Amino acid sequence: MSYIVAGYAIALTTLAVYAGLLVVRRRRLERLAARVEDEQS
Amino acid sequence: MTLSTADAPTAGRVVPKWTRRRTWTVRILGIAALVSIVCTVWLGLWITPPDKVQHQLVRLLYIHPPIAWVALYCAFGIAALASILWLWPRTRSPLWDRLAASAVEVGAVFTALTLVTGSIWGRPTWGVWWAWDARLTSTALLFVMLLGYLALRRVPSDADTRSRRCAVAALIAAVDVPIVHFSVDWWKTLHQGATVLNANLSPTVHGSMAWTLLLGFVAFTLVFAWMLAMRLRIETLEQALEGAELDEALHERWAEGDASVGASARRTEPAEAAP
Amino acid sequence: MWRDGALVAGKDLRIEARSRVVLNQVAPFGLVVLVLFAFALGPSPAPLTNAAPGLFWVSVLFATVLAVQRSVAVESSEARDGLRLSGLDPAGVFLGKTLAVAAELAALEVILAVGVVLFYGVVVHSLWALVAACVAGTLGLAAAGTLYGALAGGLRVRETLLPFLLLPVVAPVLVAGTRAWQSALGSGGGTGGSGDPWLRLLCVFAAVYLALGVVIFGPLQEAS
Repeated sequence: MSYIVAGYAIALTTLAVYAGLLVVRRRRLERLAARVEDEQS
Repeated sequence: MTLSTADAPTAGRVVPKWTRRRTWTVRILGIAALVSIVCTVWLGLWITPPDKVQHQLVRLLYIHPPIAWVALYCAFGIAALASILWLWPRTRSPLWDRLAASAVEVGAVFTALTLVTGSIWGRPTWGVWWAWDARLTSTALLFVMLLGYLALRRVPSDADTRSRRCAVAALIAAVDVPIVHFSVDWWKTLHQGATVLNANLSPTVHGSMAWTLLLGFVAFTLVFAWMLAMRLRIETLEQALEGAELDEALHERWAEGDASVGASARRTEPAEAAP
Repeated sequence: MWRDGALVAGKDLRIEARSRVVLNQVAPFGLVVLVLFAFALGPSPAPLTNAAPGLFWVSVLFATVLAVQRSVAVESSEARDGLRLSGLDPAGVFLGKTLAVAAELAALEVILAVGVVLFYGVVVHSLWALVAACVAGTLGLAAAGTLYGALAGGLRVRETLLPFLLLPVVAPVLVAGTRAWQSALGSGGGTGGSGDPWLRLLCVFAAVYLALGVVIFGPLQEAS
């Protein structure tokens, strides 16, 4: 049973971490884009 | 990227913002993905009964085949198709290149997970962490080829060259993986043949287990769709801001330089003015 | 296309004939690999004899990487531009370079095969099968290698990137070639009995990559 839990844990943790990375990266880039747009206008 | 031109205030912006509808679509997608994953885990780990033959180990089969399906068919399929669309002159568009790159990166994550979950399932079932059968080997090689694509992508070059190189690499991988699969298949096959992995054919799992498995497929596909949308947005922003990020860094440097030059000039002036 | 291919092949082979890089550097490298395997697998001849087909093909694969590197390095960036401006059919250029690499590999394989026979003490049952497998396999290796060589062409990281890109893709050649040689040498593990299906796989691989290269070499050259 511990194998199963380990498997679920690894899969879900990896996906969660990657999802978090995506969210953070996107927020950072949107902020940068907003700043660039402000500078241009 | 087909964006509505209804947002007039975003005119002149370096990359158009997502429309409200698109933002909400993605957000709902994410929530749906999260909810279905939670349900799958709950059903898979607690509610469903253990299998007659495999006992508790069948629970891993609620996540491993869905992850494999996403990695091998959704992600890799989209990457290959997008690459072909980019290479074909009549349908060429930067969107396909961005889509391919996003699909490959998300696909790499899912492929790695396929290998890991499969290995964890295989250890108690077959007694080995790894076996050289057709599916495992071609999945492993696919993973390496995806890493190769990502490595090619990081090489600094102008956008068109980079897109071209990567598209060809993806195409070669798409051609090669079936060949690898066939050749290793003739070796030996340990992997579960027909039970569930013949997608859509009548599976030999019944009742609540079948529903949980179906939910698993839906859940992970939703997760993939959400991740793909996010990654695609990131890619679009990164490409548009490439010059901007450099400019910003340069401006900061120059500002630093001016400040220090000004300071040292002020320091030397009194000395010059004095004598 | 064929005439352009012959031109380019002739050019590459003439360069090789004058510089003898493949002969003097890549061939000894292949032999060194064979010797290293002998050290790794132990002094008793049995494991070596059993593994001989596989070891041969692994050495060939490594040598292919070097041969392709050399084939790409022969063109400086000015030469590459010149090749494009010359109006030669890109498919012809691909075929020419592939044939040149294939010829070099063929020579290498003869040397390595002799080495395998000498070092690993194998007994040859069917020479024709060996040769057929080598021809088909070599064409596939050369085609895939030339394609990836063009892909990684002008990059500074080419030396590290090319093996990483190429070797997974040519894994089927290793599998099929080894099996074909195993049945030709009559050594153990002949699960399929005859080596014919493997020979067919080698031919399919070669055909697929030759076709792919002919089609895609032109668009690939447009930018790099």
